Amino acid sequence: MNIENTGSQMRKGVLEFCILSIIKQGEAYPSDIIEKMKAANLSIFEGTLYPLLTRLKNAGLLTYRWVESNSGPPRKYFSLTDEGGAFYDELSKIWCELVNAVNMVTINNNQ
Amino acid sequence: MQQVININFHGRIIPIETKAYDKLKAYTESLHKHFANEEGKEEIINDIESRIGELFQERIKQGAVCITDNDVEAVIKSIGRPEEFDGEQSASTESASSTHSSPKAKRLFRDENNKVVGGVCSGLANYFGIDVVIVRIIFVVSVISFGFGFLPYLILWIAIPSSASKEIGSTRKRLYRDDDDKIIGGVCSGLGHYFGINPWIPRVIFLAPFFSNFIDWDRISHFTPFGFIAYIICWIAIPLAKTTSEKLEMKGEKVDMNSIKTTVMSEMKGVESRLKEFSKEATTVAKEKSEVVAGEVKKGWKNSTGIIGKILVTLVKIFVYFILAIIIIALFAVLFSISIASFAIFPLKGFVLNEGWQTAFAWGTLLFFIITPMVWIITSIIRWLTKAKSSSRLLTTSFFTLFVLGAFSLGGLISSIVKEFKSTNDTYEQEVALSNPAVGKLEMVTLPSNNNININEGVQITELDALFEDTLYTSNISIQILKSSNDSFRVTTIKKVNGNNRKNANATAENIHFNLMQRDSILTLDGGIPITRDNKFRNQRIIVTVYVPEGKRIKIGKNIGMFSDNDIDEDVRKAIFPEMIEQKWESGVEYIMKADGLYTIDGQRAEKRKNEKQEDRNDEEIEPVLPEEKNEAKPVRTVKHKIKTEHRRNTPAMQEIRSFNPFLLIK
Repeated sequence: MNIENTGSQMRKGVLEFCILSIIKQGEAYPSDIIEKMKAANLSIFEGTLYPLLTRLKNAGLLTYRWVESNSGPPRKYFSLTDEGGAFYDELSKIWCELVNAVNMVTINNNQ
Repeated sequence: MQQVININFHGRIIPIETKAYDKLKAYTESLHKHFANEEGKEEIINDIESRIGELFQERIKQGAVCITDNDVEAVIKSIGRPEEFDGEQSASTESASSTHSSPKAKRLFRDENNKVVGGVCSGLANYFGIDVVIVRIIFVVSVISFGFGFLPYLILWIAIPSSASKEIGSTRKRLYRDDDDKIIGGVCSGLGHYFGINPWIPRVIFLAPFFSNFIDWDRISHFTPFGFIAYIICWIAIPLAKTTSEKLEMKGEKVDMNSIKTTVMSEMKGVESRLKEFSKEATTVAKEKSEVVAGEVKKGWKNSTGIIGKILVTLVKIFVYFILAIIIIALFAVLFSISIASFAIFPLKGFVLNEGWQTAFAWGTLLFFIITPMVWIITSIIRWLTKAKSSSRLLTTSFFTLFVLGAFSLGGLISSIVKEFKSTNDTYEQEVALSNPAVGKLEMVTLPSNNNININEGVQITELDALFEDTLYTSNISIQILKSSNDSFRVTTIKKVNGNNRKNANATAENIHFNLMQRDSILTLDGGIPITRDNKFRNQRIIVTVYVPEGKRIKIGKNIGMFSDNDIDEDVRKAIFPEMIEQKWESGVEYIMKADGLYTIDGQRAEKRKNEKQEDRNDEEIEPVLPEEKNEAKPVRTVKHKIKTEHRRNTPAMQEIRSFNPFLLIK
């Protein structure tokens, strides 16, 4: 049992929620998502992000459109579908409950 | 030396070193392998490769001649090696499969997401696979028709676990200030989130007192502070929602009966654990301290009486702590009652204080000497209960500064009030015109007041509205009965008042309006001495002297003045009416004046009624001196005869008693 492994497992659990949350704020290019995650001190590999995005897209939660970039080929910009919005709302509810539950369980150790 | 080749990488022409190219190729192959079983594998790899291309192009734009080994290394580091996101991969697929394919054993839960009261009905409906409306109708009908149905519902509510608590842990909404939607401190929007209402509702509630003041400017000093203080307390005590989780917590689930139930239950647990912690802490602190003290004592006693010293010190310590605790609690209680009392009295300030400095001092005292410590204490209690971290030094300092300011205001207020009561006016005895002084019997009554004030019982605020009236009434009215020199009744009044100098006191005395009216044998007195905001309270008092001719009768009704009943302690009476002579009658009893003084109708000599306390204390203290002779010696005999006031009566102590005279009455 090493600490890094456990910690990264914890982070992975909330990855989808975070990504959906970022995309919900507006159409996002994957590297924007990476930047925002990094800014929030939750850096992930792009190699992790792309499969995740594809999976979410295949599940109908995300959609994308091609946007012409001034350098090279067009880029994929992702946005939430209606289903994705509903999914996000559900997730945020669960997250909220989870945070509370964890807080409540751990509150006595934090002093 | 390195060979550079050009590759077409997703629509981009990239010059790259051969060694770097090999590395890149190996990397993309590993990606292919890794995503081999993934659905949409082509797309994923395409996306990643196009991203790599983009990164390379950026590199070249920055001025690199070609892509080197290091650049590829950096890109791979940024995107990650397959083995690095391998763990995540399998974990997420696992969890995905488990959420999709788990026909769990059916259990009865209350449905938190689809509930009206406690989610019992929808839980039952889920369990039996019927429409929730049917279950609800059954419950409602059974409640209405049999009165039964309510109880089973309650039992089920308690017994069935909530879906939320079972699966994820119960939700608790917490009160935060909302930084995103604030006008001043975010208190109102936080309250709005907490109660699930529009933030404008608490805003209007906080602002309502201000608006009412626009309607009625007279009342500005009465209500304004409360909303304001409440807001400030909330502002200081409620933490700001900073992190996302706090914001989510703030917006959480609706507060309904269910979450209140869980909240209360968890709060109880919280209190329990807090108490435990507190006792633990207290014991460790006590232990440490006692060890330190004991150690010192040991040194002092040169280890000779170690154990006894330790025990003694512990005992002393316990005793001291006990005393300290009592003192602190007592101080707290005193402070609290003072604040409440001052809030009650404060609206009356207009009747006592002058405009300008005195009022400013009063405000300063109220705000900084009373409200500030209260806010401070309440704030620290709330912060302690909510376990808010860090007592801010700035906060403490500013509180303390304000408190010192308040102490100065209090000093200024007291000294200026003492000054206001320094002198008394000249004493004049004014003749009251009686329409029929030759009547055989005089009965003194007072006008019944519309608020049913019992005049004998100090401050009575019967209605809040009384605070806003323009006139206060004090009942510092006393009656003395003397023997008339001729055969007709005479009634005189003496008005006494304090002031900062004799001239002002005389002016205030002039403004006292107090009426007596005779109709046949009834002499009607005003119920109290009016005090207005212009004609302020300066311990106004009136002595009504009735000269009763020999052989005629007098009866004094109940509730005239506050010192007519002789119930009041003699010392207090003397303090307020130093000019009065001692009284020997009871209200409601008819007396007849004889040559040597007052007698009741059945021939008993009028004597001061003793209450039981006095009897217990000193049985022998029945004065044998005839009051009549004393009375004759008194100089209050002729109209407008000037009586020297005795200045030594106006010692500061006396003034204090007068200035804080509690016998204020409000009509």
